[in-house]
Amino acid sequence: MKYFQFFIISIFCLAICSCKKTIDLYPESNLNTGTFYSTYGEIQAGVSGCYSSMRNPQLREWQLTELRSDNSWMGVTGSTNSFNRDLSDLDQFIPATTHAGLYSYWQDSYNNIRNCNVVLQKLGVSYDASSGTIGLANITTPVSDVDRKQFAGEALFIRAHHYFNLVRLFGGVFLIDRTITPTESLVINRSSAADIYKFIEADLKAASVYLSNLKYTQLILPANIANLGKTNAWAAKALLGKVYLTQNKKTEAITQLQDVITNSGYSLQASYANVFSIFTEMNSEILFAVRYKAGGLGQGSSFGNDFGPLNSASTVINGSGLGWNAPTTEMDTILIASDARRNINIAIYGTGVNATLYVKKYLFPVTIGFDGESDWPIIRYADVLLMMAEAQGFSPASIGLISQVRVRAGIGAVPASVNTTALFEKELADQRRLEFAFENQRWFDIVRYNTTMTTVNAQQIIKDHFAHTYTVHYSTYTAPTPTLAELQGNVTANRLLLPIPQHEIDTNTQLAIPQNPGY
Amino acid sequence: MKKIQCFLMLILFVCGAAVAQKKVITGKVTSQTGNDPLMGVNVLTDKQKGGTATKADGTYSITVDKNSTVLIFSYVGFTSQTVIIGDNTTIDVVLAPATTTGEEVVVIGYGTQKRSSVTGSVSKYQNERLEESPNSRLDQALQGKIAGVQIQNLTSEAGADPKIQVRGLTSIGQTSGPLVVVDGHPIADGLSFVNMADVQSVEVLKDAASAAIYGSRGSGGVILITTKSGKSNKTKYSVKYSTGVKTAYELYPMMTTSEYTNMLFYEAALKAMDPSITPPTANQIASTAERGAYIIENQLRNGASTNWQDQAIRNAATKNLQLSISGGNSAVKYYLSGGYQNDEGQMYHNNYERYNVKAKIDAQLSKRIKFSFNVTPSYIKRERPSVNYIDFVRFQSYMPVVLDEQLAAFVRQNPTYANVKAGDWAQAYYFNARVYSGLMPDGSNWINTTSVTPFNTSNNTPKSVMETRTITSNDYRVLSSGDLSVNLLPGLDFKSLASFYIKYSTALDFAKRNSNRAGDVNRGQYNDQLVIDLLNENTLTYTKRIKEHSITALAGFTLQKGSVKNEQAVGLDYPSDNITTLNNALIKDQSSDNTFTYIERNGLTSYLGRVIYGYKDKYLLNASIRADGSSVFAPGHKWGYFPAVSIGWVASKEKFIENIHWISNLKLRGSYGALGNNRINQFQWIDLLYPANYVSGSGNGGVSSGFIPNRDLLSNEIITWERTFSYNGGIDISLFRNAVSLSLDVYQSNTEKLLLNQATLAFTGATTTINNIGSMKNNGIELEVTTNNMRKKDFRWSTTGNIAHTTNSITNLGGLDFFLNQGERTEVYKNEVGGQLVQFFGYKTDGVWLSQADINAAQAAGLTSSLSNVFVPGGLKLVDINGDNKIDANDRTVIGNPYPDFTWGITNNLTYKSFDLSFSFQGVQGGQLINGDANYNETKRYNSNYNQNRWLSPMFPGDGKTPYSSIGFNWMLTDYVVEDASFYSLRDILVGYTLPEKWVKKARLSSLRLYFSAQNLFFHSAAGYRGINVEARSTGAQYATPLVDGYQRGGFPIAKTYLFGIDLNF
Repeated sequence: MKYFQFFIISIFCLAICSCKKTIDLYPESNLNTGTFYSTYGEIQAGVSGCYSSMRNPQLREWQLTELRSDNSWMGVTGSTNSFNRDLSDLDQFIPATTHAGLYSYWQDSYNNIRNCNVVLQKLGVSYDASSGTIGLANITTPVSDVDRKQFAGEALFIRAHHYFNLVRLFGGVFLIDRTITPTESLVINRSSAADIYKFIEADLKAASVYLSNLKYTQLILPANIANLGKTNAWAAKALLGKVYLTQNKKTEAITQLQDVITNSGYSLQASYANVFSIFTEMNSEILFAVRYKAGGLGQGSSFGNDFGPLNSASTVINGSGLGWNAPTTEMDTILIASDARRNINIAIYGTGVNATLYVKKYLFPVTIGFDGESDWPIIRYADVLLMMAEAQGFSPASIGLISQVRVRAGIGAVPASVNTTALFEKELADQRRLEFAFENQRWFDIVRYNTTMTTVNAQQIIKDHFAHTYTVHYSTYTAPTPTLAELQGNVTANRLLLPIPQHEIDTNTQLAIPQNPGY
Repeated sequence: MKKIQCFLMLILFVCGAAVAQKKVITGKVTSQTGNDPLMGVNVLTDKQKGGTATKADGTYSITVDKNSTVLIFSYVGFTSQTVIIGDNTTIDVVLAPATTTGEEVVVIGYGTQKRSSVTGSVSKYQNERLEESPNSRLDQALQGKIAGVQIQNLTSEAGADPKIQVRGLTSIGQTSGPLVVVDGHPIADGLSFVNMADVQSVEVLKDAASAAIYGSRGSGGVILITTKSGKSNKTKYSVKYSTGVKTAYELYPMMTTSEYTNMLFYEAALKAMDPSITPPTANQIASTAERGAYIIENQLRNGASTNWQDQAIRNAATKNLQLSISGGNSAVKYYLSGGYQNDEGQMYHNNYERYNVKAKIDAQLSKRIKFSFNVTPSYIKRERPSVNYIDFVRFQSYMPVVLDEQLAAFVRQNPTYANVKAGDWAQAYYFNARVYSGLMPDGSNWINTTSVTPFNTSNNTPKSVMETRTITSNDYRVLSSGDLSVNLLPGLDFKSLASFYIKYSTALDFAKRNSNRAGDVNRGQYNDQLVIDLLNENTLTYTKRIKEHSITALAGFTLQKGSVKNEQAVGLDYPSDNITTLNNALIKDQSSDNTFTYIERNGLTSYLGRVIYGYKDKYLLNASIRADGSSVFAPGHKWGYFPAVSIGWVASKEKFIENIHWISNLKLRGSYGALGNNRINQFQWIDLLYPANYVSGSGNGGVSSGFIPNRDLLSNEIITWERTFSYNGGIDISLFRNAVSLSLDVYQSNTEKLLLNQATLAFTGATTTINNIGSMKNNGIELEVTTNNMRKKDFRWSTTGNIAHTTNSITNLGGLDFFLNQGERTEVYKNEVGGQLVQFFGYKTDGVWLSQADINAAQAAGLTSSLSNVFVPGGLKLVDINGDNKIDANDRTVIGNPYPDFTWGITNNLTYKSFDLSFSFQGVQGGQLINGDANYNETKRYNSNYNQNRWLSPMFPGDGKTPYSSIGFNWMLTDYVVEDASFYSLRDILVGYTLPEKWVKKARLSSLRLYFSAQNLFFHSAAGYRGINVEARSTGAQYATPLVDGYQRGGFPIAKTYLFGIDLNF
């Protein structure tokens, strides 16, 4: 009997001892933010995650930029598929505040802003809103001072990239410069567009100081080449130049752009095709690109298939195309046959009545569908040259800059007939449209021209676009068929901004979040 | 009273006179179920001392004196029977198993209890013929059988999990399905593999006081499954075989291309007669695409059309073979069984095959030590169709399934498809971009010179995808347990149980080259999962009876730990479609989304205690407490405490009721207790990092490792147990010698600290956060009634019915008034404080706008709208709910909810001589669903439920309620798609015949039974329902939260099943 009792008591004791072990468990398959970012390699991995997550908003960026511009349209006008309907709404300037694509873009952008903020906080980087400067806290980090600044610069550049896109698409958005809890988020309202620009400038100014300023020629030396593709001081300056130009701060823009032209070592490629070829990635013209890699690595780009012709089986690209971001007939007209940029940017699938245009820029052969190699350029040297021309305005120097781009495209220098400000501005706008076709620049460009140019107007460009293409395209929409007057009526100054996603307004029950006017 | 006594005296006198002296009576006692002879049945008379017991073959012989008037047969677990002796010298008796009253034993978790002393709300379901019902799974067989347990077949796919709810929803963030415990081991997927033939009984612990002993995880109720054990009798062998066929109860009424085009031209002819509208142009009558399709069907296919639903489904066969051996003596008892089941789904490529083995041994090792061992391996092989049924329904009839020579020649005229041959799968794009001309239904000749695309898609036809992509899985499971009971002191027992559950499942999803679209490479996805769950339970039980006080005390602790390991690999580009192993794949997908292994451990530590006290078996008290520590919460937040108490009063044992002869039993019960829920994913209290790799370097770059925090969820360190507090009041009554027994329960439960994935502002960087927020309430009432309508020797008839009603409401949402959730097709669900958990939210409609004049009149009266497509003749007419003459988002209101008013089931059991018949009706009354069929253009066009009686023109407005398919306001945002989800059905019916013993004996069998059963012979849906399976529910994964409910997208046909079976015992 004693034996049994002893036996029972010992079992009870054993169980109590093993209790804690049974329930004190920690994740075994995932790292966590609590313990990570404690070595050089871990911080580097955190920054790589920020680069990688730039791809998420980019998946939909064409919908908010190219599609709304005169470059592309929604190709399947008869479709009642909800995704296609969402695309038509953007194309026709009538997006709902609950638009799914808009919300996804917003989510993905802010998600990566958070990723950047996590890394920046670990590196002791903070933003002082009153002075509009970035500061480094006096703390010990697991990396050297040079590395700390390099990593901080990279995260700041990526954060600025997202905010620059958000402020141009949505106006004054929410300024989030650190990680926040759901409770903290309830008291944050929208900032003014000016405050957002101030924040972007601070990020990019700091980035251009913190980041490596090696010339392109040095970057491709064996000692440095492993970092090719990461951002650097020149990319930060070029982007800062664009931020200034967008605010019509032309003098400040010229300072940054001139620095890049003079000191960066970046240059135009001899041929337009080389700029985008998968065999010459990160060439001397690419200041910064979002990079992709094929081969079943989960690093591929889907744009070749996304923009490939619908129902093309494997005749154009393995896995067929989806026919998204279809070029407008205007692109077919203005990209003349002798222009070297035509065959890179667009192509025609099918013949006769079934011929359809599609975007070819990111279309290189793939083994598996939706797993392409092509990088997506964010800022390149040709852009720096043309921004310089835009900042300087009508002048022989500016004509010279445009000519560099024209000559490379095989259509010769700017003709002498371009002899007025109006003609100059038209020429510059046209060349930018052709040069950066389907690189998500056109929309931002035409909106910027409203301030940087005197004779080019974004609303008029879109209205003209509707007029040019109404009979061949917009009139073929069924149930309902929009009239041209309705379409043109949609293009108001207010609608140059997109609506703040309804989710952000509905979810906050403490603060009234103002919607953009016109929605 | 007097009268009755007189009457009894008279009977005694008559009987006494007939029996003059001692005589020998012989006979045989058998069990009503299976006609097995019963050994050891006590046979007594009413007057003389001593009696006898039946022998192994069930026979007995007793000498009775002249005073004895009746024989009393009693046996544990069976209802005693009294038979008047009269002139008989042979008395054969069939004993029925004890019904819901009397000394029935109920499994209550960590023990058993006599039914008469149960104070909580426990339902027991026991059916010796469970496996004869035409169901492939235990949970399906329980549908409608237990009050308050709602089981819904979300799909008719073979082997699919039904949705089970005990007393409605108690959680809004997390799954609130019941905890399933198989022979003491809590197993999440227990209902999916337990072999019905091995099930002894199913108990459902419904109220907090009963379930609190499973504390932590009992908030959704507890289902206890007890499997069969051997009995001490001679070895019995049983062989059961059944086979059957399954057919579709109903298909969608889809029009063929020709029928549809004919209708368009007929409608056009009508419209042409209406002077108030301009006559439709040729293109408005039928589009070039519709005309092209008509010509393909009528010219190229000579009028042949394809019924795509027939391509999806078949008459499916089912087979079930069960063998069992049981027996034993007083020291060792054993039960062995083996089973094979093959259940074909109605859809092609849907199969469910199951092999089960079970061995159970109970041994009395010594006077003090008992031992039991149980091992249950099983193997389930399953194939699932790779295409949804609705994709077949929606496909147009003009498309052939395969190309014949004539069509292939036509396709080859397009140089792109020069290699297409007869016998190839036909694809929509083969017929696109071609020029079609010819006769139209009205006799006109359509002369067309431009190319036409009848169906603009690059996807292959559903049949060709189904045949070229296979999804198979193999599940291997072992559940094994051993326990040792030691009697330490008189009344004090110690029991230690060790149990493990291992599941290994391996699945392959292989799509051949060009399966979904031309140009797709072949792709294989391999998924392996290993689940290990270990349980150790140690309990001390003390039972003591002191005079009129009885006490049973239990103390124990349990440890449960487990791990889940998931592995996935994806291969692409195989040289051949016939070799599907990963080593052949040219490309192994290396992305972390596609190829990974993932392991997660979990643990639960619990202490439990319970006291059951009874005074004179009349006043009953049951108190329990359980403390649980769970690994899913952060340190400091791991422990939850779940106390419960219940009381009972057996009024029928009180003197003043004892004398009321027509009351056999009357008991009042009341309980209160706390339950928990921790069913969230592990480690939501910590921000996990996920891979986000990137490319850098020269050339095409090299991949470097990157990490980002969880994109979807912000962690919350302070989350802890969700808790449900519930009251239950009940009454059990048996009347007229148990002719009528009923149980009535009323309950209310309040759930607090709901574990909710709360939406966050997206600018925080993630979309949700986990939080203990808000509370909700459930109220309900449920009634179970059993009546013994006929208790004659040759004819017995009993009826069991149940009915339950439950309502839920949100009482707090963490300070917010409501949430709005958008569903799969923009339909909106509202979760509102004070309202039911899920309500459909949208616009009310009042028929359709009959004419432009109608609209003009309304607008002249001041009606405006900021929404698009509101004022369209033939479109839905929205109601201005708030009366401000402006139709906008403020006019949305609650337009329905998915909750039934009540659910019910009635089962009748009849036996007449050797025949038996049982049939069950089951139904759901009230509640609505959102029918997503209305979202799809194909359904709107070709489904005659949507296009009959529709509005055509002011002169031909149809029924004034059916809008024209392509115009007006989006249907999905209105009550036009909200349909009544009520139904009732003849769920199953069973007719059996047990062969006479004298025939069977010759074949050396102890019994032989034949039966026929059928399921869903009759199924009635409510009038407003436009689908074919009112029980079906489905929604995309990202909308699958408890906050979105009641959406149906293309139901799978209800299965009508016929089964024939044979049952041998020897």
